[in-house]
Amino acid sequence: MSLGIAARIARRELRGGLRGFRVFLACLALGIAAIAAVGTVRESIEAGLQREGATLLGGDAEVQFTYRFAEPEERAFLDSIATEVAEVVDFRSMAVVGEGDERDRGLTQVKAVDGVYPIYGAVTLAPEMTLAEALDGTGGLPGAVMDPVLIDRLGLSVGETFRLGTQSFVLSAALEREPDDGGGGFELGPRTLVRTSALSESGLLVPGTLYETEYRLRVPPGADLDALEAQADAVLDETGFRWRDRRNGAPGVSEFVDRLSAFLVLVGLAGLAVGGVGVAAAVRAHLDGKTGTIAVLKTLGAEGRTIFEVYLIQVGVLALVGVVLGVSLGAGLPLLFSPVIAAQLPVPADFGLHAAPLAQAALYGLLAAAIFTLWPLARTREVRAAALFRDIGGLRVTPHPGTLAVIAGLVVLLVGLAAWLSGLPELTLWAAAGLSAAFVVLLGAAWLVRRVARRLARARVVQGRSALRLALGAVGGPGGEATSVVLSLGLGLSVLAAIGQIDTNLRSAISRDLPEVAPAFFMVDIQPDQIDGFRERLDTDPAVSRVETAPMLRGIITRINDRPADEVAGDHWVLQGDRGVTYSDRPGDDTTITAGEWWPEAYDGPPQISFAAEEAAELGVSLGDTLTINILGRDITGEITSFREVDFSTAGIGFVLAMNPAALRGAPHTYISTIYAEPQAEAAILRDISDTYPNITAIRVRDAIDRVSEVLAGVAAAVTYGAMATLVTGAVVLIGAAAAGERARTYEAAILKTVGAGRRRILTSFALRSALLGAAAGVVAVAAGGGAGWAVSRFVMETEFRFAPLSALAIVVGGVLLTLAAGLVFAWRPLAARPASILRARE
Amino acid sequence: MTDTILSFADARLTLDGNAGRVDILRGITLDVARGETLGLVGPSGSGKSSLLMLMGGLERATGGSVTVLGRDLTALGEDALARFRRDHMGVVFQSFHLVPTMTALENVATPLELAGHRDAFDRARAELETVGLSARAGHYPSQLSGGEQQRVALARAAAPRPDILLADEPTGNLDGATGQAIMDLLFGLRDRHGSTLILVTHAPELADRCDRVVRLEDGRIAPADMARAAE
Repeated sequence: MSLGIAARIARRELRGGLRGFRVFLACLALGIAAIAAVGTVRESIEAGLQREGATLLGGDAEVQFTYRFAEPEERAFLDSIATEVAEVVDFRSMAVVGEGDERDRGLTQVKAVDGVYPIYGAVTLAPEMTLAEALDGTGGLPGAVMDPVLIDRLGLSVGETFRLGTQSFVLSAALEREPDDGGGGFELGPRTLVRTSALSESGLLVPGTLYETEYRLRVPPGADLDALEAQADAVLDETGFRWRDRRNGAPGVSEFVDRLSAFLVLVGLAGLAVGGVGVAAAVRAHLDGKTGTIAVLKTLGAEGRTIFEVYLIQVGVLALVGVVLGVSLGAGLPLLFSPVIAAQLPVPADFGLHAAPLAQAALYGLLAAAIFTLWPLARTREVRAAALFRDIGGLRVTPHPGTLAVIAGLVVLLVGLAAWLSGLPELTLWAAAGLSAAFVVLLGAAWLVRRVARRLARARVVQGRSALRLALGAVGGPGGEATSVVLSLGLGLSVLAAIGQIDTNLRSAISRDLPEVAPAFFMVDIQPDQIDGFRERLDTDPAVSRVETAPMLRGIITRINDRPADEVAGDHWVLQGDRGVTYSDRPGDDTTITAGEWWPEAYDGPPQISFAAEEAAELGVSLGDTLTINILGRDITGEITSFREVDFSTAGIGFVLAMNPAALRGAPHTYISTIYAEPQAEAAILRDISDTYPNITAIRVRDAIDRVSEVLAGVAAAVTYGAMATLVTGAVVLIGAAAAGERARTYEAAILKTVGAGRRRILTSFALRSALLGAAAGVVAVAAGGGAGWAVSRFVMETEFRFAPLSALAIVVGGVLLTLAAGLVFAWRPLAARPASILRARE
Repeated sequence: MTDTILSFADARLTLDGNAGRVDILRGITLDVARGETLGLVGPSGSGKSSLLMLMGGLERATGGSVTVLGRDLTALGEDALARFRRDHMGVVFQSFHLVPTMTALENVATPLELAGHRDAFDRARAELETVGLSARAGHYPSQLSGGEQQRVALARAAAPRPDILLADEPTGNLDGATGQAIMDLLFGLRDRHGSTLILVTHAPELADRCDRVVRLEDGRIAPADMARAAE
């Protein structure tokens, strides 16, 4: 009953137009659009990955072995469940060009294939030819194709030769595209593609070297992949194999996209919070203008509930309009720009309308709208009819505790929903806590700014500086824009400042601090019979300050205390795939044992394990627990007898797992080495080692750091774009506040003109107040962003935090410029208006 | 014996303003009979409008009691007061206070809708006809003259057939002729519906048309009117 009347009155009331609600709609729509767009792009990529799953994987399913080929019986099993099996060997090596002093070398990720590869899709080569033709080679040499980047780096041309290990190849073509690219994740070296049979004389695939074999299967149409996986589990049980199938053909990409988009949605939610400030301000301004109407309705007998419903319906309808606008934008923009986005993506994407992310964005938008409008809406209940004939302060009262409880409930619901939907509950909760803290800090800062401005306006120092005194008075006076400007701009700038500080610190940690402590080279695949010669070359080189070597095998932790490892410790990174395992009679000189004891020298009893202390705590394993490690298909079960500190941040040798030598006796293995050397000696070391031992792969750490920096730069750019969307919303709120204050400024300008102030002085005063507010928002944002940056550096990245002054300065200057621009745009009309008409209209 | 519809006993109104506490009404004792027309006169700031607002439950007495139709208004909450007004009172203001986004017809129909009358619009139309504005039913307040706006306000106040009609200087914003027409309408409506009419006015000719006139001075009933006030 009451709702029906409320709806009718609300409809009549809406005839007044939506002018005051432009900011409301813009803020809500922008926030929702950003979240919907991120979700749409993510779903499009997911759909693309789904569609192209088999091509990206290179088959309907894949069985992967580490460090070895399939045994004949395993191969027979694979042949029995598939109609076609392609064998692919993947490893890192050095491609070497030229002879003598002209020799050049580059790290490459080699993919060795058989005649069946590729099962799905096609390899694109330049000049155009089939892969079989290219790999056949010419002049008695096997052929190879190579990523154009590496071809350029090595100065090669098609038809010229290069070596992998001791085997020469003729470069038949440039590898423009491989169909199963993008599924493999992060690679350090560009691709070289050869035929496996051509590697038999290369000395590269000998026991102990690091390589993976992937058996890509084409299964009969309609085959049940779950059943096949179960069958593989049963037959290949505990051989350290890994199963993947087309349903998740590129798990690395998929997970990366998921994580990044979840993070961007969180940034989007921050944008929605900034927009919420604008939404609340717009509703408050609208309702302030409605005080008279509300009082009339109360005089006519409308109860508080009816009044609340009238404006709830109005705001609800507008929120729905905002949601529809936002969702349309969020769905439409990715579609519109799909060709541009697709060109930037390394994986296929199916752009289209995806309901789930749009619904998610709409839900977030509605919840945010409710959270930010309920407070001002609830205050309509408190308007008294007496407001008609007496100024009793409009709507400045705290709403009923019940309303506050509902708002708190909605906040919990929104955060809970975000935590659940993002799949990053911890990060979401931290972000929510940070945002809430920023809100409180900014509200406090706004209060402080007003107070200080009010005090300064009366101070002796500003006497005689009328423009400054007027500006300070306006900032500190009642009904000013201080709170909404500091809050909205401050929030947007805080997000940007936090990202700026984190990004600067992360980059400097990687590009400045890491090279100081990191080795010059990582060398892998050093055969046991090469290690003495290898060390001799380096130990006699005065430019080499330190060489560390350690034997290395690769193993997969399959069981913890005889229970499947993932059952005990979930999906911890240590359990994901294979890990390096070393052995040693004694702990290294730098090793710190945190608990237990290292085995005695020449110990020959049951296998013992020394485990990385931090990872052990994360996995929840204790001294005395047993681990089963699958090495080359063989299970070795050992007892954890000590924990060690392992520092991965220095890029030195760090093994999670170390065992007593006897436990790994007989297992083929190679050595890994880190070389700390003067930069100018690096080229000679690389030349000598790779000439003497062509099978050894050298990874220049500086190159690897550059590659990591590149990836991080991409991520930082994506996050910065997200944060910019937040800032744009902040700017809209700012413009809204400036527009809302235009009437008051016009009146003020009229009075000032009447008492003799010139336009220049008035304009200076307006500019000063904008700049003061912008600077205040910027300073608070830098403090909040610095705090967030410190927390992330200290607790997440565990690095030392250094305040980045340039980023901070940019934030403060940006804040000042934004408020100045918004303030001055809305200063022209007040300046141009004639005082008489303005003052008469007020009478 | 006269039927008392409204009774004030030592009613007081004190407000906290920026300039400190202000005693607006300082102990008003007054009875109004059903069907009576009462004029409230006095200089500006004497508390006439505030007294009227206490009668309408638009303002809450800070001392004493205000009893209307047997209900103590000081004991009612905001919503209960709103319902009480809806069922028993009509209020006319000097500044009309029409809802600017509603047409004349909708303004008149609103209190009837709030009271749950299904025929709200038919009755509102009839009421507008009574005040001679049926041709302007679809017009918004901004499209009406001051006199027309006040006629709409009169129709809105009278449409629910209230027991009490409260009018706060209803002609104060109108020229003489228009004011006269409005007063004729107001008294006509009062006669038709048998409502009790209480009006605040500065105009002696308007006060003369009332059954009784009470004069306020500095928040109190003027001594000369004291005896008559309790009649």
